Amino acid sequence: MKESYGVRLPALELDDLVGKLIVLEGTDGVGRSTQIRFLKEWLEQQGHAVLDTGLTRSGLVGKGIKRAKEGHTLGRITLSLFYATDFADRLENEIVPALRAGFVVLTDRYIYSLMARSMVRGLDPAWVRNIHRFAPKPDAIFYLRIGVDELIPRAVFTRGFDYWESGMDLYSAEDMYDSFRKYQTALLQQFDELAEEFSFNVIDARPEPRVIFEQLKAGIDRILAPPVVRAAAVTVPTGVSAAAGEEVALEEVPEDRRKRA
Amino acid sequence: MKRYGDHRIPGRLFVVEGIDGSGKSTQLMLLHQWLKAEGYGVVFSEWNSSPLVKDTTKRGKKKQLLTPATFSLIHATDFADRTERNIIPLLKAGAVVLCDRYIYTAFARDASRGMDPEWIRELYGFAVKPTVAFYFRVPLEVAMKRINDARAGFKYYEAGMDLGLSADPDESFRLFQGRILDEYDRMIPEFGLTVIDATLPIETQQQEMRLMVLAKLTQAKQLRVAP
Repeated sequence: MKESYGVRLPALELDDLVGKLIVLEGTDGVGRSTQIRFLKEWLEQQGHAVLDTGLTRSGLVGKGIKRAKEGHTLGRITLSLFYATDFADRLENEIVPALRAGFVVLTDRYIYSLMARSMVRGLDPAWVRNIHRFAPKPDAIFYLRIGVDELIPRAVFTRGFDYWESGMDLYSAEDMYDSFRKYQTALLQQFDELAEEFSFNVIDARPEPRVIFEQLKAGIDRILAPPVVRAAAVTVPTGVSAAAGEEVALEEVPEDRRKRA
Repeated sequence: MKRYGDHRIPGRLFVVEGIDGSGKSTQLMLLHQWLKAEGYGVVFSEWNSSPLVKDTTKRGKKKQLLTPATFSLIHATDFADRTERNIIPLLKAGAVVLCDRYIYTAFARDASRGMDPEWIRELYGFAVKPTVAFYFRVPLEVAMKRINDARAGFKYYEAGMDLGLSADPDESFRLFQGRILDEYDRMIPEFGLTVIDATLPIETQQQEMRLMVLAKLTQAKQLRVAP
């Protein structure tokens, strides 16, 4: 019941996936992980089994990427492909099995972040899109959007500027602040374009986390059928009964929510 | 990002392709020795050898963690690292670069594992087009005999054991490498591979190879000569 963006992987059936794939996207420091934590708890209280996952966590290459980044020696094509490998590994070993078992899969970033980063680094957009064409289309993509001016204080007062999040591999002549500003501005522009192309639900990430959470809940409620047993008194595994809401797609999300704030 | 066929760089890139046991590595080694003796600045680059990616690939193979998709992507990652840090800079500097296996290996193997052929070709779209790509064509039985004479048994992925074609490594190797041979045959016209009959005596093959390489070297304006 899921389909990819055009490329099928051998032995990776998507037709029988009953769970829901929910993506949180947004630039660094926008508050994605906080929201994932809130959402997981909320969904579990509602009776949904949840898998939360993110980038560079795969068993196969997660460590390899971290090590390679420490040396700052990755070329841009190499970096893109390393991330794509990691993503494919998580897709096959975590995401698809969980969707098959009827889980709600909450993913902190998805192929769109990978595409945005690669394109900011000047890689051919057609090439970048092709790499990720094996990814299943999510049931919903929430894009937590924030401007660079609001983002900077968050970076300064939380963890400081990170080498890669500042795009220092791109603008090595600049100091971290200038580089961060340039890089994140370029990323935002890519995200805004992807938001149109892939119909993101755009959420203003400036308000308090609880306010954002309410918006996310409302959006997710629309794609999840209540996990209750129907009159037939058959015990339906958690999340599997979502079939009723299956066809509810992004079209039903109010238009204003999709446009950026 | 330059694409296949778009790079305009002074160096020369020669690659060898063929199934295991075709003798391509021996031929490339002989070519390497000759070029060095002739005074060319020549660098050798092996498939699957990027220091950054190698450990991940090794672990994946050892623990049999790789699926057709991750097998394909991790090799593309390795190749990208070698292309960006090695092959392109060397060619720009005017070196002669020799590659034991190139993108055609990936096209043949990944398609044999059921990956979408067009997707793989686009995946490797950043590769430099070789000056000459030699394909050492050999019948399956000859290759199998050479491998069996040289070492005991086939490796897991080399025999395509991950595909479950057969529980018997010999039979699996035969089926999998047979598919790969078919893929190579399709690529001869598609990529203009230069076919060398790998059943000929080693010396004869080497002579053919040197003649063709020499023709391409004399056309080059400035190739760096080793000190």
